[in-house]
Amino acid sequence: MSEYIVEMRHVTKRFPGIVANDDVSLGIKKGEIFALLGENGAGKSTLMSILFGMYEPDEGEVYVRGKKVETFSPNHATELNIGMVHQHFKLVSNYTITENIILGMEPQKKKFGFLPVVDIKNTNKKIAELSKKFGLEVDPTQKIENINVSMQQRVEILKMLYREAEILIFDEPTAVLTPQEIEFLLEIIREMRRNGKTIILITHKLEEIKQVADRCAIMNRGKLIEICDVAETSTKKMAELMVGREVSFTQEKTPCKPGEVMLKVENLVVKNADGFPVVNGVSFNIRSGEIFAIAGVAGNGQVEIADAIAGLAPAAGGKVILDGQDITNSPVKARNKMGIAYIPEDRQTWGLILDFTLSENLLLRRYDIAPYCVNGVLHREHFTEKSEELIEHFDIRSGQGGQTIVRSMSGGNQQKAIIAREIDLDTPFVIFVQPTRGLDIGAIERIHSQIIAERDKGKAILLVSLELDEIMNLADTIGVIYNGQLLKIAPAETMTSNEVGQYMMGVKE
Amino acid sequence: MNEIIVNGMSFSIPLFIIAVGGIYSERSGVTNLALEGFMGAGAFFGALFTALTAGVFASTSNLPMYLSLFVAMAGGALYAIIHAVLCIKFKANQVISGVVVNILAMALTDFLTSQINESVLGHSADKFILNVFPRLTVESLTGIPVLGGFFTNAYIFEFIIIAVAVVAWYVMYKTRYGMRLRACGDNPYAVDAAGCNVGRIQFAAVMVSGALSGLGGMCFAYSVFGHYSTSIYAGYGYLAIAALIFGNWKIPATLGACLLFGFARAAGYSLIQYLELPGTYSDLIMILPYVLTLLLLMIFSKNNRAPRALGEIYDKGKR
Repeated sequence: MSEYIVEMRHVTKRFPGIVANDDVSLGIKKGEIFALLGENGAGKSTLMSILFGMYEPDEGEVYVRGKKVETFSPNHATELNIGMVHQHFKLVSNYTITENIILGMEPQKKKFGFLPVVDIKNTNKKIAELSKKFGLEVDPTQKIENINVSMQQRVEILKMLYREAEILIFDEPTAVLTPQEIEFLLEIIREMRRNGKTIILITHKLEEIKQVADRCAIMNRGKLIEICDVAETSTKKMAELMVGREVSFTQEKTPCKPGEVMLKVENLVVKNADGFPVVNGVSFNIRSGEIFAIAGVAGNGQVEIADAIAGLAPAAGGKVILDGQDITNSPVKARNKMGIAYIPEDRQTWGLILDFTLSENLLLRRYDIAPYCVNGVLHREHFTEKSEELIEHFDIRSGQGGQTIVRSMSGGNQQKAIIAREIDLDTPFVIFVQPTRGLDIGAIERIHSQIIAERDKGKAILLVSLELDEIMNLADTIGVIYNGQLLKIAPAETMTSNEVGQYMMGVKE
Repeated sequence: MNEIIVNGMSFSIPLFIIAVGGIYSERSGVTNLALEGFMGAGAFFGALFTALTAGVFASTSNLPMYLSLFVAMAGGALYAIIHAVLCIKFKANQVISGVVVNILAMALTDFLTSQINESVLGHSADKFILNVFPRLTVESLTGIPVLGGFFTNAYIFEFIIIAVAVVAWYVMYKTRYGMRLRACGDNPYAVDAAGCNVGRIQFAAVMVSGALSGLGGMCFAYSVFGHYSTSIYAGYGYLAIAALIFGNWKIPATLGACLLFGFARAAGYSLIQYLELPGTYSDLIMILPYVLTLLLLMIFSKNNRAPRALGEIYDKGKR
């Protein structure tokens, strides 16, 4: 019996066009929080999917509690007390929390002594107790469609705990959470360690690893680079190992040299589906060569401002003026022609057509103009030519180049594709909404320098972000939104991040 | 008044059980336009059974009629396998599969009916003649105003169907299988992650759909037509689909929709008689349930919530 509860020996896994895991060996001790760090596409998720039985390794062996794993299936993994919270939750939206948790192993009771029925009532109590024990704070009788993402994630955690998982794998658990929710989750993870569970955390956020993990394995392009003791390794060192080169956390930025006003927003009002004004009388200007950043806690109306400017949401009042022209009621296509590029918050819903190829997605904005389209006929050879140029220039990695189906690409590379497409339009005004959401540090750094480069070319840039660090790093002018109103607009150098944070909470006048 | 209730119920109840069959399939995530075909094929097997066993039972015995209901269920379930295999095993488009299954049922049963009449029963005909299904009057309850109509001259199969529907409701909402079935219609990936076999659950649901449709079809053959022939393909399967959509894929609400259709139809017939209109006008009244369908579609469609994964082809590898 070795000291490890999980051991992977010389594991190799290949997919068409890519080696996802290349001779990886590592051991995980019982009762520790073990982090797997790496950029998007480094092979972390694949490695853990093997442990959870979703893939069979091409070479190498996996041992759990000293015993070699022979059959690879999620069911078998569950029998070995291994549980996994996936990046995309697998929940039934019209079921209650309890019903979701017990699905697949429903406890039964006999009604009238003979009729088997699923016993929801008693299970509700059991799950409430389990939730209390680990500090999860869920009400088991609520329906999934009525609870937020953070609580849905806790339902996934409860699912594992209900199945008596001892080894819990979290795949990028914080990608969808707000800072407060992240704190809460990390506390839950610590609580689970106190209860003797072994936790594997797949992430690319160094800060979280520093906060909770005991040991950390760093991967790059399918290979295991190093396993380090978190307490003894600096964040900078880990970042370098992960990216494979030196990284800087703050961006080099020359002072802004603003020109004429490019975008003027006057008393903008945007209403949501219920008729409630989520943006209520917002006014600001963005000049050429300026990054105007809107800071705020999620759901205060910042995304709606961007949508109204891009034409995705109708303005219920006020004006949007681009380069002297009133575009308040112009259709989306007209706005694009006049010079708006838009990097949306939700890249999979608004940014890409997932089942189209990378090449087609890169040309989504231009497919209808020459030389890509002449007399209504598409010219594929120009598609290929252009997309190859963009793939090369923006370093978009994928299995089969321009012919890759976008759905199969990693999140970071999907985002790179959108940014490549939009920046290449070379419009005088660009909107970035949450441009680095869910991305790793190397990719963030690259995107940040691209944003600054666009500014330096004299473009007006609207940046909407929930990451305060990102705003402090990039903004020339900061507008803080609270409850649909801009509480404060000021040059970035006159505000500290602490002050911005206070405005974000609506506490400072 | 009583006449409307008697006629309304004898139409609504078989329609209801066909719709329940549709709910089983659709709540599991498999679009089912094949109810018409399931219904006709199931009834064919039931009618064939009575035709082939005519000499075995005493001519006064009602037993073959009851047995034929079971045979129709088994036959419907068997025929439904075609839809299940196409949609689940071969991941075919569920709408196309449903339409094909309907057309196939009509052609196949027409052909077989004539052939079996000719070669086995020895006379040429394109139908199987059926006896009249026994009716029941509960004397002690007929005195009650309005409600008494439900216990006057009611076909016994109506009570059988209600019992089957109660069981169907219990299985769908109270048991393990039902819980997994409904989950498949919302998010099959969650069911798969919970270690259950999505394909198997859906396959069973489509077969149940066939069985219940077969039962409904057989009862229509006994009541509306009095024989089995291709005239059974009168669009009742499609009407059942409309009913289950108005019922928002829920069993009790669907019963309400079916009653509405049935009573609209029965009231129409009474109207013709009352106004002493010539027989050709009855065709006009026949369209009443369908006009009602159109109107209701306009009113209720926006509040409807179909199962989220309905019609989606389940592919394990997709994320």
